[in-house]
Amino acid sequence: MTTIDNAYLRSFFRLAAERLEAQRQDLCSLDGEIGDGDHGTSMANGFAAINARFRELSAEVQEPAILLREAASAFLGEVGATVGPLYATAMFQGAALLEERPLEQIRLGELLAAFAEGIRMRGKADLGDKTMLDAWIPASQAARNAAACGGDAAAVARAATAAALEGADTTTSMIASRGRAARLKERSLGHLDPGAVSAALIIGTFAELAEERT
Amino acid sequence: MRPARKRAAKDPRATRPPLRFGDDPLLWASWLYYEEGLTQNEIAEELGASRPTVNAYLADARAKGIVNISISGEKLRSVTIGREIEERFGLEGCVIVPGEGGPRSLIDRLGAVAAQSLRWLIHSGDTVAITWGRTMLALANAVRELDLLDIVVVQATGGTTAAIDYTPEACATRLAENLGARFVPISAPAIVSSPEARQILLAEPVIAEQLKNLERLTCILFGISSMRPNSTIHTSGFFDRKLQQKGYYNSAVGSLAGRFIDAQGVPIAGPLADRTIGIELDRLRRIPKRVLVAGGFDKVPPILAALRGGYVTALITDAGTGEGILRAEGLEVDKISQRRRATSPPEPALTRSRIKKFINQPRDVVREALEGALAAFPAHIESIDGSVRAIRSRVEKPQGKVGIVIGGGAGHEPGFFGFVGRGLADAVVVGNVFASPPPDRILSCTRDVHRGAGVLYIYGNYTGDVMNFDIAADLAAAEGIETRAILTTDDIASSGPEDAAARRGTAGNVFVFKIAGAASARMLPLDVCERLVRKANFACHTIGVALEPCSMPDTQRPSFSIGQNEMEFGVGVHGEPGVTRMPLQSADRIVDQICDRIFEEMRLESGGRVAVLVNSLGATPMMELLVVNRRLMQRLSARSVKVHTTLVGHYFTSLDMVGASVTIMGLDEELAGLLDAPCSSIAWIK
Repeated sequence: MTTIDNAYLRSFFRLAAERLEAQRQDLCSLDGEIGDGDHGTSMANGFAAINARFRELSAEVQEPAILLREAASAFLGEVGATVGPLYATAMFQGAALLEERPLEQIRLGELLAAFAEGIRMRGKADLGDKTMLDAWIPASQAARNAAACGGDAAAVARAATAAALEGADTTTSMIASRGRAARLKERSLGHLDPGAVSAALIIGTFAELAEERT
Repeated sequence: MRPARKRAAKDPRATRPPLRFGDDPLLWASWLYYEEGLTQNEIAEELGASRPTVNAYLADARAKGIVNISISGEKLRSVTIGREIEERFGLEGCVIVPGEGGPRSLIDRLGAVAAQSLRWLIHSGDTVAITWGRTMLALANAVRELDLLDIVVVQATGGTTAAIDYTPEACATRLAENLGARFVPISAPAIVSSPEARQILLAEPVIAEQLKNLERLTCILFGISSMRPNSTIHTSGFFDRKLQQKGYYNSAVGSLAGRFIDAQGVPIAGPLADRTIGIELDRLRRIPKRVLVAGGFDKVPPILAALRGGYVTALITDAGTGEGILRAEGLEVDKISQRRRATSPPEPALTRSRIKKFINQPRDVVREALEGALAAFPAHIESIDGSVRAIRSRVEKPQGKVGIVIGGGAGHEPGFFGFVGRGLADAVVVGNVFASPPPDRILSCTRDVHRGAGVLYIYGNYTGDVMNFDIAADLAAAEGIETRAILTTDDIASSGPEDAAARRGTAGNVFVFKIAGAASARMLPLDVCERLVRKANFACHTIGVALEPCSMPDTQRPSFSIGQNEMEFGVGVHGEPGVTRMPLQSADRIVDQICDRIFEEMRLESGGRVAVLVNSLGATPMMELLVVNRRLMQRLSARSVKVHTTLVGHYFTSLDMVGASVTIMGLDEELAGLLDAPCSSIAWIK
């Protein structure tokens, strides 16, 4: 069984950064509708900073937990903003999980759940608040369900991706209760939450990764 | 207006009244008629009543105010005759009502439309005079629910014989009552028996004081009397037989406020002038808004004279009188309509896509701007540990002084770095555009300004800032540095008073930083500084309005879309849309809306003392800020509020947003003292 190792994480962050860079403008426009229009910038710059940090790290770093910690601190130091503390805490939680024991790729759902828990703790939001959690939480659940039903690593990643996309889509029918969009009250209806859209984009990287490796 | 009728239903049970209507047949009938579009016959069937009964219900519902019908004032003003009169006589507005049809008299009709027109004619803080007569009383009676603050109604002249019921007192008191205004009478007769009597009365302190109010008028509502035998000027007791016979007033065509004019509007100097107490014609003509309400064929010559003489800025009359005026000026009304229809230009479409900016690479903008700032102001600021995003003031910080660290996203220049310096903040942390700085930079500022007395963090109440500063506070605590965080929440549009802690911080930051800097410069301990800064934050009330969105360096596109005739009310400072979208209005009306909200929230009492900040959101120039400030000062003065400090300019911006914010800070001795303390920074030298 293949585990979530150093190489897996490096590929994940490289691919995710490419995806976010490609969607930079669209995420900013989406954010402009209900937020302050900087979401694409924060995410793309943040993930670029993670990859820059990885390049500086010596090849000796082999522990995936250490890599994830480095990613968290690089991201936080680069973006600050709202997503900085949220994703940094998510990655710190993920690192804590990987520290305990190696995690098989088929158990991706547990890593996603750790991420989601970190975001939930830091942002004090929950499912249905029109935030990135509306992608992260369903994705983690779908991934664990798929594994429980005997799916392989690719099936697990696909299930997470599908659930994340669906979760992001449902944010149009929600009224924001956290963050800047919350000031708009019912005017936030009908708009996608940019944080959920970028989360789905990131989660989709796992499916892409799984396909690349098969 | 009634909606187009659509045949509603069907099963009678489907139209049972909803429970909240109770058993009130008026409400029920009105609902079915106006909201469901049923005919009166259909409603009669539903209610098991006769059609005449339903008709009576509907009439009753209007009389009792269950149903309010109003015709858009804009539409009434767009009538062709009105447009032509406006153009001809250089009026700001001319409202025309149908002169015939329906049981109401012309005078009641004019009164009603004039009362409705007050919505665009008078505004909070105005001092309004009213003359007397049948039309004026009808107007005063018809006024309701205007929702205006700080209005004063002044009687335009002394009193008249009580033989009429439309006396100056009656008109003015009724208007004041219905406007919820303060009433100033003129406790003297409008016409006295001799010039000597007038001189004696004018010298009376009470009367002199009352008449003083006529010098501050912003608006006058007046009627006009013809010279016919039973006209108001006669019934009010101005003439005795002798005067008329002597022929002093043979050339007069009309009378306003008890004064006489000829056909060209020239005042007639006769023996009555020295016996009349009230507003004089030359003073009347200097009042900014002069509204004449009059109609009827006998009024055509006097109205025309008033228009020619420049006594009128807005005219409210009926179609027949309006046509008469134009005919008297030699214009054919039928031809006008055709000409006007032909010349309405199509609205040009405005399309913008890419906003041009002085930038190199979008990702470098913040760093490059800060490098430019450090190079421009070396006497004020320098970087901490070589980072351009952690900046300290050059001022020496003595041991035992509470450190003040402020910060937030970039894009608010001269906020935040413009407010570090003597008597202001000690260090500033800068994030990306509109994004909180990360904790490590906040921590390096904290260490840099700590002098053993703890550090105050002051920043706007935004999710991202709270998280990053909280992480930094934990890290600082681990190093033994005590910090306190004060989240500014001055933007009162962002949440209601019941949820004031959820509000965001905007331009009020400027005053809060000042108070913090002054308190820490006095070497006050952390607890005291914290209390004062919290107090300063609660004293600040801000509302922002955007006319155009800003554009981020990254996208170079407008951050939201807005129509040509719209504005966003209640915007913050991050390019996000406001709380409500409204039709675009004039500067004064926008300031009025801002003042109404802030005054109510602050419970601003007369005699209070405030500091104000009229702030550009980026692209709005100083000239327009000054126009805003002008109206703001009028409103504050109408409330007898003393303005202690005024700041006007670019203090806390939102990139290139076209818009402005108004901050009013309530002051007591303590806050005023701290505000007066000297300070010196890039953005504020005192």
